[in-house]
Amino acid sequence: MEPLSGFEIFTGVIARFWIVWISMVLIFAISIKTKRKTALYGKLFDSPIGMVGFALVLFWVLTALFADLIMTHDPLGQVSGMKNKVPGTPLRGATVDEYQWYLLGGDHLARDVFSRVIAGSRIVLKIAPLATLFAFMVGITLGLPAGYFGKRIDTILSFLANMILAFPVILLFYLLVTPEIIATGLPLFLAGVMFLIPIVFMILLWQSRFHIRPKVRNKYVFWTLMIGGWIYLGAAFNMDPLVIVRNLFAGSEATWQTFPKGLVYMQSNILIVFVSVVFVNSPTVFRIVRGLAMDIQTRDYVAAAQTRGEGPWYIMLWEILPNARGPLIVDFCLRIGYTIILLGTLGFFGLGLESESPDWGTTINSGRKLLTIYAHPALPPALSLMSLVLGLNLLADGLREQSLKD
Amino acid sequence: MKEPYDGPILEITNLSISFFTRLFEIPAVMDFSCTVMPGEAMGLVGESGCGKSTVALGVMQDLGVNGKCVAGSIKFKGRELTTMGEKELRELRGSEIAMIYQEPMASLNPAMKIGKQLMEVPMIHEGASKQVAYDMAIDVVESVRLPDPKRIMNSFPHQLSGGQQQRIVIAMALMSKPSLLILDEPTTALDVTVEAGIVDLVKDLGKKYGTSMLFISHNLGLVLDTCDRLCVMYSGEAVETGSIEDVFDKMRHPYTQALFRSIPLPGADKNESPLVAIPGNFPLPHERPNGCNFGPRCNYFEAGRCDSGDVKMKPFAENDRHHSRCVKFDEIDWDAKLAAGDDTQKVMSGEVVLKVDNLKKYYEVAANAVFGGGEKRVVKANETIAFEAHESETLAIVGESGCGKSTLAKVLMGLETATDGTVTLLGQDVGNTMIQDRDTKTVSSVQMVFQNPFDTLNPAMTVGSQIIRALEIFGVGNSPAERRDRMLRLLDLVKLPREFADRMPRQLSGGQKQRVGIARAFAGDAQIVVADEPVSALDVSVQAAVTDLLMEIQRENKTTLLFISHDLSIVRYLSDRVMVMYLGHVVEMGTTEQIFSPPYHPYTEALLSAVPIADTSIVKKRVVLDGDIPSAMNPPSGCPFQTRCRYKDQVAGGLCDTEVPPMRTLAGGHEMKCHLSASILDAMEPVITQTKKKVAKKKPAAKKKPAKAK
Repeated sequence: MEPLSGFEIFTGVIARFWIVWISMVLIFAISIKTKRKTALYGKLFDSPIGMVGFALVLFWVLTALFADLIMTHDPLGQVSGMKNKVPGTPLRGATVDEYQWYLLGGDHLARDVFSRVIAGSRIVLKIAPLATLFAFMVGITLGLPAGYFGKRIDTILSFLANMILAFPVILLFYLLVTPEIIATGLPLFLAGVMFLIPIVFMILLWQSRFHIRPKVRNKYVFWTLMIGGWIYLGAAFNMDPLVIVRNLFAGSEATWQTFPKGLVYMQSNILIVFVSVVFVNSPTVFRIVRGLAMDIQTRDYVAAAQTRGEGPWYIMLWEILPNARGPLIVDFCLRIGYTIILLGTLGFFGLGLESESPDWGTTINSGRKLLTIYAHPALPPALSLMSLVLGLNLLADGLREQSLKD
Repeated sequence: MKEPYDGPILEITNLSISFFTRLFEIPAVMDFSCTVMPGEAMGLVGESGCGKSTVALGVMQDLGVNGKCVAGSIKFKGRELTTMGEKELRELRGSEIAMIYQEPMASLNPAMKIGKQLMEVPMIHEGASKQVAYDMAIDVVESVRLPDPKRIMNSFPHQLSGGQQQRIVIAMALMSKPSLLILDEPTTALDVTVEAGIVDLVKDLGKKYGTSMLFISHNLGLVLDTCDRLCVMYSGEAVETGSIEDVFDKMRHPYTQALFRSIPLPGADKNESPLVAIPGNFPLPHERPNGCNFGPRCNYFEAGRCDSGDVKMKPFAENDRHHSRCVKFDEIDWDAKLAAGDDTQKVMSGEVVLKVDNLKKYYEVAANAVFGGGEKRVVKANETIAFEAHESETLAIVGESGCGKSTLAKVLMGLETATDGTVTLLGQDVGNTMIQDRDTKTVSSVQMVFQNPFDTLNPAMTVGSQIIRALEIFGVGNSPAERRDRMLRLLDLVKLPREFADRMPRQLSGGQKQRVGIARAFAGDAQIVVADEPVSALDVSVQAAVTDLLMEIQRENKTTLLFISHDLSIVRYLSDRVMVMYLGHVVEMGTTEQIFSPPYHPYTEALLSAVPIADTSIVKKRVVLDGDIPSAMNPPSGCPFQTRCRYKDQVAGGLCDTEVPPMRTLAGGHEMKCHLSASILDAMEPVITQTKKKVAKKKPAAKKKPAKAK
């Protein structure tokens, strides 16, 4: 088998993404057609910058979604003789039903670079938006009272936020993943507290709105507690109730090893990465929300809510928060980008994730060592990271630009 | 430098200005013509969105990237502005044409000292030296009647009060002795007594420097006070233009007429001659009707004539340069009396529902907020306030910003607690109960209508759900369906179509939002409604409708209305009793009749004189107050008003400086806080006098006699 030429590599890569292209065309066609009906999302298609950003983000989201269809080989599988092979090298000893080439070459452990980039996108897009969402929940839950009540609560919370912000991020990460620190249970404790906040947030949301209609309130609070509690136990403490039940039925010999994973489960090292990312991101979100709350609480509709005897949490969550959504959505997009960079940095320093993990930061780091001789293992993940973050920034720009018009 | 020129200073002919968006063109001004002669002051009057500011920006050629003059010409001293290059325009702007904007703070650079900002003008335009520029600046600061020019020159904008800032902006505009001064709502952001001072200043300076003026305002009374001619605009077109006397007394356009009928002039009375609101809404630029823009709202509308083809400006031959854009102005009987509106019975006020006694509200302001400690200062927002309000009575609370009227409202609503004194609400003392601790019934029985219509509704919720929320919280109705039904009936009550329930607030106009605000306030059958300047942010034609609505609901529900306002015309029109506040004190209280006729408290007198009245038959005694309202942080000793009072020297022994006057009761329960002796009070003349009947023959303009303070 002949090695592929540059053009053939290019078309080969493009062809692997066929399902992504089809989905993108479909989504764009539908969105542009209905853009007059879908408020801010529709307006995004009036701005070229926004569209480019959206396309880049959409590309990576779909890639992560369809990763199994796009990948050519097992991202962790090593094939002897493929070590550091240049892009387009035919796979040695390939069977008929295997893909015949390493499209983007092999890395220093003879794994397929192309497949690792695709698999990496899945890890990145699994952690980054979710971690950002948690950071927002934490930032909002603490920022609203700080901005709304002001005075002492504000002083204390702002002081704490400033303290976290003043601490060097990388050092903080090193500390959080050090085995000695993990042994103290501090990261687990942090996870326990942070993952609790979204549940508290949701309960406050229902209680403040429906306290006059207890039946409706009870229904919502019940489901929040059930679903939220389940996810909470599984994600933070690896104590998915289903596992416990299954272990009970399995009899006394069964240990945690019998059914190690519940439905909701988070690897402990990913959990630590998750916690650290939420931990460093939430103070910034806190400050934004606090500022917005201070501004919006001077509006007459807030006074109107006060004069009809609404509680403070109703005012914060139902009067102030919805009207702060514009800047928050923009910041959310930007912050996913920062989080992705942060994840890359973590991977690059070998913090948290396993060394064979295909995530982009780790792959860049492992490709770095032979960069002057073989650039191909490090470049694709670096370019992917860049394009995704660029896409998110452009998307945020487009949203900001369009939300200002009206 | 500037050549003498004796033709018209500004000549605008058939000007059309459009703004372009990606999707369509929005015509903002259409077929607009006007001429400003040297030394003439031209008023541009109209409601918001009628294009008056766009005309001003067009003259400055500062329409931004989206705006463009699409037709017509603007000639300044014979030179065409629409085709002029950037460089030439830059030389004109600020030197030949100067503009004064509404927000003084936004017109000044907060990072530069006043002196430097003023000196820039001659240094840039005339290349003057620093010393010459400084001397000129000092001169101009003196001529805008600011005390201690040297200190002012050396201060930053934020160190001056709003009125002083606006004087500096005027001074800056005058630095280069412009031929044309454009004033875009120059006093709207200021208090009435400060406004009176600025208006006086502008008039005098116009005479002194011979500057022509283009005065943009929504306030007809203000235009009457300042201008020689005026141009009424409606929906992008000039509808009537002529001299002040002609347009005010012999109007020839239905819109102008409707506008005058909808503003409360002295003599209007809520029961005998109610205001006539203009029906319908102001059309948005893309929904303007065919033919006459005012057609759909006009009483004289005639299908086939008024809605076919463009209506052109036509001269009204009897008067000098008096034009009207109406096809029927020759046929309408302009002197016809208004068909008597539905007279309503005056509702007798019932028992006392609210009694405030010796109320005090002090705020403590710590100098160092973070760690506490430091020197504490006390702001006395409310000082020994006592009054009663009866059922179905309208009690107006009048005062300028900082007089403590909003604090009073907050204490009543329970957003603050009183420092001292009692507030008895429906037989219950609530002075020290925060709103969280009040029971639902008490909360729902005192509600508030807010000032800013664009702020009063939550932009993220539909109109219906906001009213339903109020119903929920007040415990009205047992099921969602019941509450929805009640919400729809509330919409009926405020005369809004039921479809509005599912609209978002941004789809509503200002007046409609204010109606929703009223509906929300009445959701729990409020017995006392505190209306904090409910109509001051609305356009004149909408004001009347909203005011009437409030009155009507009040009559039906026997509500007590606490009407907070600084607009004395509307207070005179709708209130039964008036309470005048100054720096936290109630300085005068009595029936509307007592407040608006002598004897006055010196402050009330100044306030009455300051309010512009759009009626040429009114003669006002001019009382202009010096200076600004003192800060509540640092109130003057003795009588709060002593720093600006023109009667101060008539009180023996300097009592005003040392002692707060006691509340004394004059004839008929009229109360007043003043040291003046009864003889001086009795000798006071009325401030406002009506000289003649409204429908006048040819006559000279009513001269206002300047009886300057001191």
